Amino acid sequence: MRPNQNTVAGRRLPRLDGAAKATGRYVYGTDVTLPGTLYGKVLRSDMPHARLTRIDVSAARAMRGVRAVITSADVPQVRYGNAVKDQTVFATDTVRFVGHPLAAVAADTLEIAEQALSAIAVELEPLPPLFDPEAALAPDAPLLHPDWQDYVALPVIAREGNIAGRSRMRHGDVEAAFAQAHRVYEHRFTTALQHAGYTEPRAASAAWDSTGVLTVWSNGQLPFEVQATLADILELPVSRIRVVVPGIGGGFGGKLRIGVEHFAALLARQSGRPVKMITTSEEELIAAHPRQAAIITVKTAVSADGRILARQGRVVVDCGACSGSGPGTGAVALQCLVGPYRTPNLLMESLAVYTNKVPSGSFRAPSGPMANFAVESQMDIIAKDLGIDPLEIRLRNIVREGDLGPAGEVLKDVSIEECLRRAADAIGWHDRAAEPGRGKGIACSWWMTTGGSSAVFIKLNGDGTVALTSGAVELGTGALTGAAQILAEELSLDLEDVRVATVDTLHVPYDYGAQGSRTAFSVGNACRAAAADLRQQLFALVAAQHGVPAEEMMLRDKCVVAGDKRIPLADIARQQYTGGGLVARGTALNPPPAYDPARVENHPLPVWNTPSFHAHAADVSVDTETGEVTINRYVVAQDVGYAINPTYIEGQIEGGVSQGLGQALSEEIVYQDGRVLNANLTDYKMPTSLDVPPIESILVECPSAAGPYGAKGVGEPPCIEPPATIANAVAAATGLWITSLPITAEKILLRLKGEP
Amino acid sequence: MRNPLTLTINGEQHDLLIEPHWTLLHVLRGQIGLAGSKENCLEAECGVCTVLLDGKAVNSCILLASLCAGRSIVTIEGLGDPEHLHPLQAAFVKHGAVQCGYCIPGMILTAKSYLDEHPDRMPSRDEIREAISGTLCRCTGYQKIIDAIAAVAAERAGKGAQEDAP
Ligand code: FES
Ligand code: FES
Repeated sequence: MRPNQNTVAGRRLPRLDGAAKATGRYVYGTDVTLPGTLYGKVLRSDMPHARLTRIDVSAARAMRGVRAVITSADVPQVRYGNAVKDQTVFATDTVRFVGHPLAAVAADTLEIAEQALSAIAVELEPLPPLFDPEAALAPDAPLLHPDWQDYVALPVIAREGNIAGRSRMRHGDVEAAFAQAHRVYEHRFTTALQHAGYTEPRAASAAWDSTGVLTVWSNGQLPFEVQATLADILELPVSRIRVVVPGIGGGFGGKLRIGVEHFAALLARQSGRPVKMITTSEEELIAAHPRQAAIITVKTAVSADGRILARQGRVVVDCGACSGSGPGTGAVALQCLVGPYRTPNLLMESLAVYTNKVPSGSFRAPSGPMANFAVESQMDIIAKDLGIDPLEIRLRNIVREGDLGPAGEVLKDVSIEECLRRAADAIGWHDRAAEPGRGKGIACSWWMTTGGSSAVFIKLNGDGTVALTSGAVELGTGALTGAAQILAEELSLDLEDVRVATVDTLHVPYDYGAQGSRTAFSVGNACRAAAADLRQQLFALVAAQHGVPAEEMMLRDKCVVAGDKRIPLADIARQQYTGGGLVARGTALNPPPAYDPARVENHPLPVWNTPSFHAHAADVSVDTETGEVTINRYVVAQDVGYAINPTYIEGQIEGGVSQGLGQALSEEIVYQDGRVLNANLTDYKMPTSLDVPPIESILVECPSAAGPYGAKGVGEPPCIEPPATIANAVAAATGLWITSLPITAEKILLRLKGEP
Repeated sequence: MRNPLTLTINGEQHDLLIEPHWTLLHVLRGQIGLAGSKENCLEAECGVCTVLLDGKAVNSCILLASLCAGRSIVTIEGLGDPEHLHPLQAAFVKHGAVQCGYCIPGMILTAKSYLDEHPDRMPSRDEIREAISGTLCRCTGYQKIIDAIAAVAAERAGKGAQEDAP
């Protein structure tokens, strides 16, 4: 089956859940309310670093309508976490950030639960806080986790004191290259904490049944991780924990790690009643899992004609009070610091560092935008200094088919030149008439399609439709509509003939989860395998009945075509009721490519699967009176391998770019003395419809060998390049590079007035 | 203590007993089971809870239910159902304006309120941008939402031919 003959895959079909969502019938995590439910709330620390000397919940427990109050004393003394198990459900003896959970309450109503929180007496003795990750690296810095050596961590993670994870990539000899280079440039960049901004807050409902099985209705992205984390916290086997994900109002990585499921489960256990919890906007902004703030230094050596000879980089990600996703996201920044460029000598290091701030997570392309902002800004600074066109300096350095990537892997299906040229052409790169206060910027990157396995079960129903059961959730991207398009294509069905089952860990097969741009890719691959299994079963049944060899059969228009016979799938499915029905299974393993282990050290994601390539270009105006940036045009050329559904790919690009523009221009969780100053949706400035310019998408299709019909991961890349693209366009308009995100009007104005 | 209250929601009367501090959103979601009006900030900052009150878009999360007596309340469930989509709902689905969908009921009702308020005119894209600027969407970048609303407005203005065919 060749992609250009496809009738379902590759087409702009409306998504399967569209009508349910547009009519308000789709059920989300926040919509689940169990009969007799209680409502839970969490008491949080108002100090960034303190010793917890006393917590007295007796008055709260005595209140009418309060059904459970729990603190550290009431829960198993367990440490949990993703890379490093450094987190507890509640603060035990030390409070490490404003927002650190101290206790939780379940009551008949939310109001009573809130009143009960204020009846809890807490005594905290302040400790000296540590907010600056570079200060936390000083040899004499106090240890935020004095017991860090007792924590369990993944074997790959290297730790030391306040460093929760250190990774390195190296190749060649950077020092020798620096010594011989035409020029060496060194710059420092900083970026801010950014919330994922999903419109549905994190929510959970939990209930225990009479056999001691816990069911949690969650809106988390990774039901199997929620299940495993709950198993750790509750000290139960995973089979006693069932996680159901009804629907999710956006995740973007912010819902990867456990949210409030554990509080709901513990409160439900103590009260013997179902418990529902929803986080408030304030809790989201002080105590969710935002994108880390980062400090990046990049040193690049070049020849006189602008070729990269060596690059050394260091990224410090501020994990906050617990490591969260920090060690992994810090490490992934290293591949982005190399970028899609030939780099004969490289030495990269990431440090994930504890501070007394919110534990951070992994927002969409976790560290990609930060690293890209640094290297792509520097690329333009170098180009300007050497008198080379910014597009030209990139074209001189980009990787080509068959080159080795940073881990020594062979790069395949490389499309970066086409992406750069098409983005440049679309923005009118070669028509840059000097106009004061106006400029064009370009930036490019690469990104992985995350590996990990997927399995699907498919069942052919008696009406000829198919039920698709997968462990991957639909975050809103449309990825499962994409997977269903592939399944329908393979089985000669219409898209509407595929029904996607709700995710419930009790019966869905394992999936590595809706993360890392992998869902349509990986579930799509599993769907192809399952369809092949089902076809084989169908052909065997028809062969037995009609005596036509299976090799001569094909599926067409919902029928098995065997010689001159056409047997409808529905007929075969009904006949097969006597044989136990027709079910099939498909798996996708998505193994990583071979790489050179000598180039990496303590890197949890040393080599990228099926990389995608992309370039962004913008045309901006800067008001020199106010510092205000107006984006006149914004263009994205992204290699998607094969566009399974162009409409929703454009949707990913438009949405990802708008999040990236937020990071570029306005979004920052602002801390002062350990407190968040803007913990509400008015002061935390996400782009509104007035802020996002029209975004032009160019879908480049350089097929991959590994993806369904050649597809590559799509979801994360669009938010990587916007900060660098805007920084470079602002520099083209003003002559000034702003090296800290967000690039606010204030920062531009100060620089225009000559301040550093 | 709870007081009696009668509300007219999607053309139907509901006799309720409510506490004086309950918001319309709380009553819709918690008492009546109309969960299509979503909840997020509860502070009139995001727009996911938008309903129509006497035809005008309002944030139901800060509106006391008791103030809605005798007025017409329309929620997303009152606009159409999956088999009989309202033109705005159909356009949102067709133009790919729906991703996670959590902002979409509020977005569609905001658009309806705006189009109904300006019955005689084809709004510009900038006017549509302005009209929906109080409703936050994190997924879409607004482009396809604006496409969908513009398509409905154009159809209404008898310019249906301008729609992009997929
Ligand atoms: S929930 Fe009402 S405006 Fe946000
Ligand atoms: S579609 Fe997800 S917030 Fe708008």
